[in-house]
Amino acid sequence: MVYHSSFVEEEGINKACGCPLLPLKSHVRGPAPASDPDKVDIVDEAITFFRANVFFRNFDIQSPADKLLIYLTFYINVALKRLEGCRTLAVGTKAIINLGLEKVPVPGEPGFPFPGLFALPQSEDEAELFRNYLKQIREETSGRLLSCAYRPNGTPNKWWLAFAKRKFMNIIIP
Amino acid sequence: MDPTCRPAVIFDNGTGYSKLGFAGNSEPSFILPTVVGVNDSFLKNLRHTDSNSTDTANWLAQYNAGVMADLDFHIGDDALSKSGGIYTIDRPIRYSQVENWDTLEKFWQQSIYNYLRCDPEEHYFLLTDSPVTSPESREYMGEIMFETFNVPGLYIAVQSMLTLAAGYSTPKSDMTGVVVDIGDGAPQVVPVVNGYVIGSSMKSFPISGDDVTRFVLQLLQERGELIPPEDSMETARKIKEAYCYSCTDIVKEFERHDKKPDKYIKLWSGRKPKTGVPYSVDVGYERFLGPEIFFNPEIYCSDFITPLPDLIDMCVQSSPIDTRRALYKNIVLAGGGTIFKDFYKRLQNSVKKIVDDRIAANTARLGLDVKPQPVEVNVASNPIQGYAAWFGGSVVASLPEFYDSCHTKEEYEEYGASICRTSPIFKGMY
Repeated sequence: MVYHSSFVEEEGINKACGCPLLPLKSHVRGPAPASDPDKVDIVDEAITFFRANVFFRNFDIQSPADKLLIYLTFYINVALKRLEGCRTLAVGTKAIINLGLEKVPVPGEPGFPFPGLFALPQSEDEAELFRNYLKQIREETSGRLLSCAYRPNGTPNKWWLAFAKRKFMNIIIP
Repeated sequence: MDPTCRPAVIFDNGTGYSKLGFAGNSEPSFILPTVVGVNDSFLKNLRHTDSNSTDTANWLAQYNAGVMADLDFHIGDDALSKSGGIYTIDRPIRYSQVENWDTLEKFWQQSIYNYLRCDPEEHYFLLTDSPVTSPESREYMGEIMFETFNVPGLYIAVQSMLTLAAGYSTPKSDMTGVVVDIGDGAPQVVPVVNGYVIGSSMKSFPISGDDVTRFVLQLLQERGELIPPEDSMETARKIKEAYCYSCTDIVKEFERHDKKPDKYIKLWSGRKPKTGVPYSVDVGYERFLGPEIFFNPEIYCSDFITPLPDLIDMCVQSSPIDTRRALYKNIVLAGGGTIFKDFYKRLQNSVKKIVDDRIAANTARLGLDVKPQPVEVNVASNPIQGYAAWFGGSVVASLPEFYDSCHTKEEYEEYGASICRTSPIFKGMY
């Protein structure tokens, strides 16, 4: 059975599209609140749980933070697929930057991977806020993922890159 | 010489492996894969022969090959090592059901004459079959044994009964318990009460040891490990048997593997069968992900998602209410698929959790003042699990009542093969 997020507390956290904008230990600019550097944040959780959760096809959602976990797990899967052919850290970084420059869809737009998972944004502002949050969290995840997917000397870590072939929730990545 | 003075021969033919030996021994004399390698090259040559060919020497050679081809076959590991040449591999038993009786007869022939080297006319035989086989299957077994091998007596036992008779879970063999039999064929969860199999509560589990091998192979290939394709299943099977273990939590195991790779990541080296070139393979997280499919089947296949502990619980809950405590107390593991390290611990903890949660929910809902007695859950494990059914057969066949409960040759000649349809077990022997 899948691993769920521990961020079940929803007090005092902004929400957009029914999803809490959880704090991140991030250096990237964006709408997310800052988190303590010692605590585990949602990106750490997503990366730790990724290799286990990617095998599952049924995910029962216990809290709204789980929705974010699902989105991040899918994003990590996409990112790993982009890294599949990259032999060195430099090439990998370039591929990930390209991924980050692509348009980030929000719920309601075509191209958003989980239609129906999140609530539709009520206003333009909410949509933009969510888009910026997603951009920030994606960039943060990519950075931490690169440090896992590549060894200190720059060669790919096969224990991570093997999961590029796995299909989370059986979704075929274009 | 009276066959009842000699030890009976025990044959436990399973989908993957067959265990052969004599009663009274504590382990089978032979454990070999249930495969037969037949030489049917003469058949292929005959098809290509031009019917107008006047090459009599060629024709004679093929005729001779045809006549002798009956005797030209190998079984077990010999067959596997000779595969790819003129021998084609055939597995007579699939998913615990016998599919090819001719091949099984050949298998028995070589087992008796070449491996055990005994005279079938002088020993009683004990064969095993799965609780779900049809009576016709038992009839064929009887027919082959009595007609071809001329045995003096035959007993066809249900594998689950023998596992309980093996008696390693309790000081005296307790004929009440749930037998979880995971072999290469169709794994079964069978509740047995006082020697009777409760047929309506039997549950079958579509994931077997073979599927673990497939999953391990899939993971290795996804990672790009170089496994020779002609030998992939066999290599994966050996890796599974050597290195797989059962963990308590997948994420923690991943972390352990990351932190101490030298302790957890193993190297498997072998030689390619065709070229002899050595190759090596890193074995990492498939060590614990393989057996994990019993506890989370959906990581492997999408049409079956009930984990094994839940299935065992469902099985006990569907049995008569007065038997349930006894069944939980005696869950017995059997079959090669259960010998992963710490498998029984994980299973025991999972089943206990399900049971405890249910009791707690009931107590809370009904607001009981008196707490119900906690249900004891015991999963029994023993080094002989892999051949528990064979060992049970050895125990049963050493009892003095064994010879009286066999179907004898005289009965067969009098009444025909239908005597083998009923298993004496169902007549309440215990």
